[in-house]
Amino acid sequence: MLNDLIEIFLLGGLQSGMYSLLALGFTLIYGISGVVNLAHGSFYMLGAYMFVTLGAIGFLGAGTMLNAVFVLVLAAIVVGIIASMIYRVTIHPVLGDEVAIMVATVCIALIMQQFVIIFYGVTFPRVAWPEDSILMNTANILGVTIEYSYIAAFVVSLALFGTLMLIITKTKMGKAMRAVSQDVEAAMLMGINTERLYMLTMGLSAMLATFAGILITSSTTKSAGAWMWLQPLALSFAIVILGGLGSIKGSLIGGFILGYAEQTVKTTVPEGGAIVGVVPLIVMVLVLLLRPKGLFGKRVELEE
Amino acid sequence: MVRSYFRRAYSSFTAHVFDIPPRFMAFLFFLLLLTVPAMQLGSYVLRLLIMANIFAIFAVSWDLLVGRTGQISLGHALFFGIGGYTSGLLFQFFALPIWVTIPAAVAIGALAGFLIGFPCLRVKGPYLALITMAFPLILSNLVKWSPLEPIFGGELGFRSLPPFFPFLPFTQAIMAEYYLILLLLFVSSIVIYKIANSKTGIVFVSILDDEVASKACGINVTRYKIFAFTISSFFASLAGCLQAHILKLANPPMFSLDISFLPVILTFLGGIGTIYGPIVGSYIYVILDRYIMSILLPKAFESVGWTLPREFDFAKLLIFTLIVLVLIIKWPRGLARFATDELQNLEEARDLDERGPRIWKRYKKTKH
Amino acid sequence: MNEDLEFGRDTRKLNTEVKGGSAMQVLEVENITKSFGGLKAVDNVSFHIDEGELVGIIGPNGAGKTTLFNLLSCFLSPDSGTIKFKGENIIGMAPHKVVNLGIARTFQVVRPFRHLPVIANVMVALKSPRGAKKIEWLKTMERKAADLLEDVGLSELMLEPAENVGHGDLKRLEIAKALATEPDVLLLDEPFGGLNPLEVDFLTKSILRMHLDEPRRSIIIVEHKLYALMKLVKEVKVLHRGKKIAEGTPEEIANNKKVVEVYMGGPIKHA
Repeated sequence: MLNDLIEIFLLGGLQSGMYSLLALGFTLIYGISGVVNLAHGSFYMLGAYMFVTLGAIGFLGAGTMLNAVFVLVLAAIVVGIIASMIYRVTIHPVLGDEVAIMVATVCIALIMQQFVIIFYGVTFPRVAWPEDSILMNTANILGVTIEYSYIAAFVVSLALFGTLMLIITKTKMGKAMRAVSQDVEAAMLMGINTERLYMLTMGLSAMLATFAGILITSSTTKSAGAWMWLQPLALSFAIVILGGLGSIKGSLIGGFILGYAEQTVKTTVPEGGAIVGVVPLIVMVLVLLLRPKGLFGKRVELEE
Repeated sequence: MVRSYFRRAYSSFTAHVFDIPPRFMAFLFFLLLLTVPAMQLGSYVLRLLIMANIFAIFAVSWDLLVGRTGQISLGHALFFGIGGYTSGLLFQFFALPIWVTIPAAVAIGALAGFLIGFPCLRVKGPYLALITMAFPLILSNLVKWSPLEPIFGGELGFRSLPPFFPFLPFTQAIMAEYYLILLLLFVSSIVIYKIANSKTGIVFVSILDDEVASKACGINVTRYKIFAFTISSFFASLAGCLQAHILKLANPPMFSLDISFLPVILTFLGGIGTIYGPIVGSYIYVILDRYIMSILLPKAFESVGWTLPREFDFAKLLIFTLIVLVLIIKWPRGLARFATDELQNLEEARDLDERGPRIWKRYKKTKH
Repeated sequence: MNEDLEFGRDTRKLNTEVKGGSAMQVLEVENITKSFGGLKAVDNVSFHIDEGELVGIIGPNGAGKTTLFNLLSCFLSPDSGTIKFKGENIIGMAPHKVVNLGIARTFQVVRPFRHLPVIANVMVALKSPRGAKKIEWLKTMERKAADLLEDVGLSELMLEPAENVGHGDLKRLEIAKALATEPDVLLLDEPFGGLNPLEVDFLTKSILRMHLDEPRRSIIIVEHKLYALMKLVKEVKVLHRGKKIAEGTPEEIANNKKVVEVYMGGPIKHA
């Protein structure tokens, strides 16, 4: 019993940090440009594949930790650039039409899935840190066996979360983002180039998804697959809806709620591993029934 | 001289063709579909058209809910799957005949729509889209869950469901199924079209346009939304149980995201909010994806002596999705509506005297 | 100018004649308060509206006029106070139920159903329970909608999609939609906003006409264009920063020092 509690507390907490990072990109792009990006999971997947591909090319000495970190950052940048180009070509023209945006992003997700299948085949390439690095060892904390990579992923996730908060609150770009999220037209009148800002945001959001993809995959399943975008997508929209669309604080708290909920089911329910994917969705539905705009969503009572 | 003759001949031809009112066009379309089995195209093509008709019912039901009422549902697979699974359950445990399972499945599907409608009413816009997306995912995981396998059949689902016409030989059975499903498509699309263009349909559109204003008009928005949900889920589950009986299979992929996105993509292909657009969309999808790219293209390659790479199987979906994406960006109003707009432009631009023999005149609606 | 004033006075006289002495209160508002965050949009306002009364509510921008309307039509519920319609408390009721009881409103910013033709816009309101009940015997919904549009002068645009219709016409469409349910109390939120003088004139006349046609219906008009309003109504209530600061006949209000102060930003210094 106590063991279970410790396990839930530790593993759930670590997992929650990564989930928050995953949802952060989703909430960011919605909060700023109003795009419900159903291709968010695809950037997660693309990130993992990019990590594999760039790692295979080998920079700074293949197989070393330095190389892996370099490739991690490089993959994020590449995916970010790809995402902002995709945004400009496909989503920007239909901006303002909610359904069209969703359909367009679904199409992007399917295209990427097929693309990956065609180029990589139906294989499951290994996404992991170098074998000899310290991250692959396991630690025993209070009787729970945890891999170091899991802890590292948690730390890096929180660090990235903090960095993004700093970007949004301190930099000029962050100011522009907040301005646009409050009132697009007024922001445009103040001379903010919304198109470029949206592209940047999309790139940033995809970068976060990439980091999440590589960190989560390398510390859990350690293999990529063409269908790996579905579960993170469901998870990230559950978190975001739970916290309130467009709320950064909400994505952090939503991530923790769902992370703990999942871990609780995993450790307590027999055969729980198979239905663990349902937990976030059920929690989301229950919360939405009580609070239709999520925990921290914007409330608009009577828009006039 | 010759050119002017041709031009006149062409304009006379267009006058003949484009004077056909949409209703008559739709009638011709159904007539054409009725004669398809006589063309001896083989049972595979008939199978395809059967699937196209089922998808069309499914997509039309989605269009009523989203295109007309504005309640974005990305989880229509829920009703599709419930339709299929109800049929499966009733057959598996009570061995009920098909003429009982289908009405029961449809009724349960409609009930599910009614019940899902209540929680979904509280949420709006993207929240609604995402919450509806969650329901089929939850159910698909539940039916797959191993402790529930004795009931739902696990990953395999229900197999060997009864066909519609067990007493007929194979080719005739397919033909009979084709006609049955065509009839069902005909009936359900007309019912949905009638609802969409009735006074209730006007209220639906008012909810799509401005919910607050329709409340200010004294409309009980809740009731109308639930009504839309119920009607839509009724036809979606009809499509689901038809598919289950045609493929003799009800399995977890019926709840998958692919099935949820299918009506969305088909409707966008044809034109959202038109009701007839999704039918066009599903025919284009089936013909393009399952006939041209699966049969004609490989055959053409073979005749030249090349073989398609194995990856082409996966590229089919890629190509189709790319087409849809381009369409959404270029013609967000959909192909069918684009076509009707063009027809209307032609009609208005043409001089009245050039219309030629007005044999279709009596079919024409009097314009205001 | 002079003629207009005459016209206005005449109707006021007529109005009192029709009503006679026995006025019944249809709407009683007692001490309602509504605040958004720290801002008190409506602060302890009380008034009552008699049957068949034509009342104007004026006030500078941000005086809480629109919030007051949102409270009366139950789109918002007040923090405290009571609103009674024909003796029945309507606070917390769903907006559509209030419409079906007989309080209809228009919006300051027009809210047409853009995908629908003009006549269908009115038919939406006729499809509501009260609207459907009020259709006369042997009359179709379309006929009734067409009649309503004729009353506000929109018959020519009947089949035009609402998205192609100009702003002035949409203002009148709003009124036709509100009239479709044959309300006992009609709330008009800035009906003259954004209209040119000709349109204002036309609208003034049609409001007067519908007032005369249905003498038992009370009409409340929120406006900050005083010129048009003062000619139209019999009684004026003035709101300022959420508080009711004056009420009385247009003449009284026009001579009320406090009101003039509020509108001009200070006492007028005579030269």
